[in-house]
Amino acid sequence: MNFNKINDILDLPKEVGTDIPKITMLGFNEVLIENYKGILEYEDFFVRICTHIGNVNINGFSLKLNQITDEDIKITGKIENIDFECR
Amino acid sequence: MILKNSTDFLNGYIQIQVEGFFIERFVNSCAKENIRLWRTKKINQSQIYTNISIKDIKKIRNIAKKNKCHIKIKRKRGLPFIIKKYKKRKIFLISCLIIIGLIFALSNFIWNIEIEGNINIKTEEILAQLNECGLNQGAIKYKINTNKIIEQIRLENEQIAWIGIKLEGTNAKVTVVEITEKPDIIDKNEYCNIIANKEGIITKINVTNGTAAVKEGDIIEKGDKLILGWMEGKYTGVRYMHASGNVEAKVWYTSEKYETFEQEENIKTENTENKYSIIINKNEINFYKRLSKFEKYDTIETNKKFKLFNNFYLPIELKKKTNYEYFIQKKKYDETSLKQKIADELEKQMQDNLKDKKIVNKDIIVDKNNKGLKVRLIYEVIETIGIEEKLVL
Repeated sequence: MNFNKINDILDLPKEVGTDIPKITMLGFNEVLIENYKGILEYEDFFVRICTHIGNVNINGFSLKLNQITDEDIKITGKIENIDFECR
Repeated sequence: MILKNSTDFLNGYIQIQVEGFFIERFVNSCAKENIRLWRTKKINQSQIYTNISIKDIKKIRNIAKKNKCHIKIKRKRGLPFIIKKYKKRKIFLISCLIIIGLIFALSNFIWNIEIEGNINIKTEEILAQLNECGLNQGAIKYKINTNKIIEQIRLENEQIAWIGIKLEGTNAKVTVVEITEKPDIIDKNEYCNIIANKEGIITKINVTNGTAAVKEGDIIEKGDKLILGWMEGKYTGVRYMHASGNVEAKVWYTSEKYETFEQEENIKTENTENKYSIIINKNEINFYKRLSKFEKYDTIETNKKFKLFNNFYLPIELKKKTNYEYFIQKKKYDETSLKQKIADELEKQMQDNLKDKKIVNKDIIVDKNNKGLKVRLIYEVIETIGIEEKLVL
């Protein structure tokens, strides 16, 4: 709560201080998830990623983990749908 | 992405295959350890391909052990591996370095000297002079002081008005401007005669200043005085002056030639052959073994210098000899055709002499004997003669 107020005053992006993931989709072939916790499942057609507020499921074909660091993960491939499991 | 890829390439990376049941856990722990994985691809249930940078390979082995995965190195890519590969091939590397060094070393010498702009002075003469001053084939470039050479040559050679030396690559370009010899112009205030510079018959004489020494119809020799630079008066005595006037004379130009009725003529066939040789520092190496297969031939030689890039001349020359075959044909002329032929040839020769001049008469004299003809071509031309000559008192 306190942090939200500071964020409002300083006009910082919300994902910087908090644990909220930022999901960016570029076209239908690329998803970038920042502030993630870890990979739960990885198959050619299904990627399940754990974040602090819930899970992200990505369905598609020939999915690749293009870039993995401890802060963000980039998934490329033919993405069919993305759904969320709120905790 | 290109930038990132190129940095990956420069740093070097390894493509690995990871096999195990807990691959997700392996990937997660890699992320936790700050190991960057990229282009991760699942092949089947228990195998993935991924890329990893060189420095992380030791860490990843420990992680794999913990997660009970097996790692297989599939491919090594990047600059460090290429360098490693060529480290073993020392001779290749050394020869590369030698070639680069040679090019640098050779580019410090002058390999070609071009001289242009000279008409009367022979190229060899200028070259010899340049050699004396230190600019010769094989001279070291930075030791050449062009200003000094220019000064020295201008001092020695009085025919040269201006000389410029330009060093371009291994090429020295020498530009020469010659002094055009002007006739001695005598000052208006000085006394002079007018004398003949050709022999002929005077047709017209016009004196504006001075005393006429000849009259129309006089036959004059070369060097005869035409207009005298003084005047004699009864009371004034001798008065010297700058003679001037216009003198026209009939002048004859003759030329003659003797040719026989039976002549041998060289007729070129279309057969040619090329022979090559290489000249390295005045030593010639032939690429051909046999002499020419033609019985009679003309040879034309052309030299070509090798050069790298634009103006990096090498001390190697390619000499090309082209042989043109010809055969001899006997030809018989009759009197009129031979006369015509010789007259045409003579006329061509004299064309230069007769430029811009008024031709009055043309005469052809033929002497015949039993073997051939002697043809004499005479042109009668009217032209102004007379040059100024200083009066020495």
